[in-house]
Amino acid sequence: MINNMRRNLSLLVLLTGLVLPWVYAHADGRIKGTGGVSSIGGAGGGGLIPWATLTSLASEEQRGFTAFATYTDLDDFTLDVVGGGVNFSDRLELSYARQSFTIKANDAEIEQDKYALKVRLAGNLLYGKLPQVAFGLERSHLRDPATARAVGAKDDDGTDLYISAARAWIDGLFHRTSMLNVNLRYSQANQFGLLGHGGDDQDTRVQVEVAAAMFLTRSIAIGAEYRQKPDNLNALREGGAADVFVAWFPNKHVSVTGAYVMLGEIAGARPQNGFYLSIQGAL
Amino acid sequence: MSMIRNFSLGKGLCALTLVMLLNACSGTQHPENLYSALGGEAGIATITDYFIVEIANDERVIAYFEDTNVERFRYFFIEHVCMLSDGPCEYTGDSLVDTHVGMNVTGAAFNAIVEDLMAAMNKADIAIGTQNRLLARMAELREQVIQL
Ligand code: HEM
Repeated sequence: MINNMRRNLSLLVLLTGLVLPWVYAHADGRIKGTGGVSSIGGAGGGGLIPWATLTSLASEEQRGFTAFATYTDLDDFTLDVVGGGVNFSDRLELSYARQSFTIKANDAEIEQDKYALKVRLAGNLLYGKLPQVAFGLERSHLRDPATARAVGAKDDDGTDLYISAARAWIDGLFHRTSMLNVNLRYSQANQFGLLGHGGDDQDTRVQVEVAAAMFLTRSIAIGAEYRQKPDNLNALREGGAADVFVAWFPNKHVSVTGAYVMLGEIAGARPQNGFYLSIQGAL
Repeated sequence: MSMIRNFSLGKGLCALTLVMLLNACSGTQHPENLYSALGGEAGIATITDYFIVEIANDERVIAYFEDTNVERFRYFFIEHVCMLSDGPCEYTGDSLVDTHVGMNVTGAAFNAIVEDLMAAMNKADIAIGTQNRLLARMAELREQVIQL
């Protein structure tokens, strides 16, 4: 765990160092909080799923950058993620995440790379008639495919595609700014790709993901997410995942998110619940 | 398989219902007249005074106001907010389009102004729910202001 943290932090510093000079910008053109946080797959969103919003607060005439580190402590596993994203003109988002999934019992580790892009197709989260609609692609690459092969996955790597729509109501529930996001995802991933893609009991390939959030104050948002997951492996059962979260935006450049996550059965272990903590920096 | 499909449909419907609920809530629940919630004429004048200070200190937007007659802006902005909040005023200034045409107000500048107004309303101790009621009405005017 400590080793992981140390390595992840160095990776984060490296990423920031590489990307920052290239994109340097002071992206603050959108309202605080409307950039969301970083999902475990790296894309801007909530924590569990991407949202139609693009990462950072870059507006159409700006370029923005985010870097994040996430720790999730489940009953029998931990999932550590580190990554970053770039937002070009609030139109195109590119992101990267490195996931390290550890089995507590034997300290075995599965590492995965996530490369993703997201394009805003139409609309604006806050203004106008249309919701904000985005198209996204997430490419997963397993660095440690042995487990995936052992459990019967068809492929080590895979690609997810999704369409996402998000709407915020400035004067929403209880006169608080409230948001709803719905994704339709095409995916064959087993446990976010950590157990590869596809399998001997191929499930439906289109999944629904939903998130709802509300700003209690200008700096504190609460919300919940649900993510349907395919169940492709005969030997293992996979169900949906959900979380409830609190996100704190002390200013336009930092966010801290805490969540209680319910990831369902993973790799034959009992339903996995636990805590999630994520820190994001944005420029 | 089919259960899972039904499940997604259920989720979709659920989401749709939530959207409609949210819409309904944001549209109808107005127990108190917004103008009074803002503190009437005096309250709106206080907000506007803080707003002008926020703008003056905001390097993101100050350039837009370089040649602005502040007294005139103050007068008509107060009148405009009074009208927007269902107060007893008629707005007698220039139309929003005529006023902002040629300024090339960017999306970022619009949001900066929104943040300045939020800061001003905070200083005037306006409750966040009341702030949001006004901001939502202003948001609907965005197309009459930006990138003209
Ligand atoms: C919905 C949002 C907005 C509303 C309701 C609004 C309203 C008004 C009103 C009522 C006036 C006075 C009109 C008159 O003098 O007859 C005004 C003037 C002005 N507004 Fe806006 N405004 C908005 C957004 C903005 C934004 C985003 C900017 C720029 C960043 C801006 C820049 C100005 C300037 C520079 C003037 C003074 C014009 C002059 O000097 O003649 N406004 N606005």
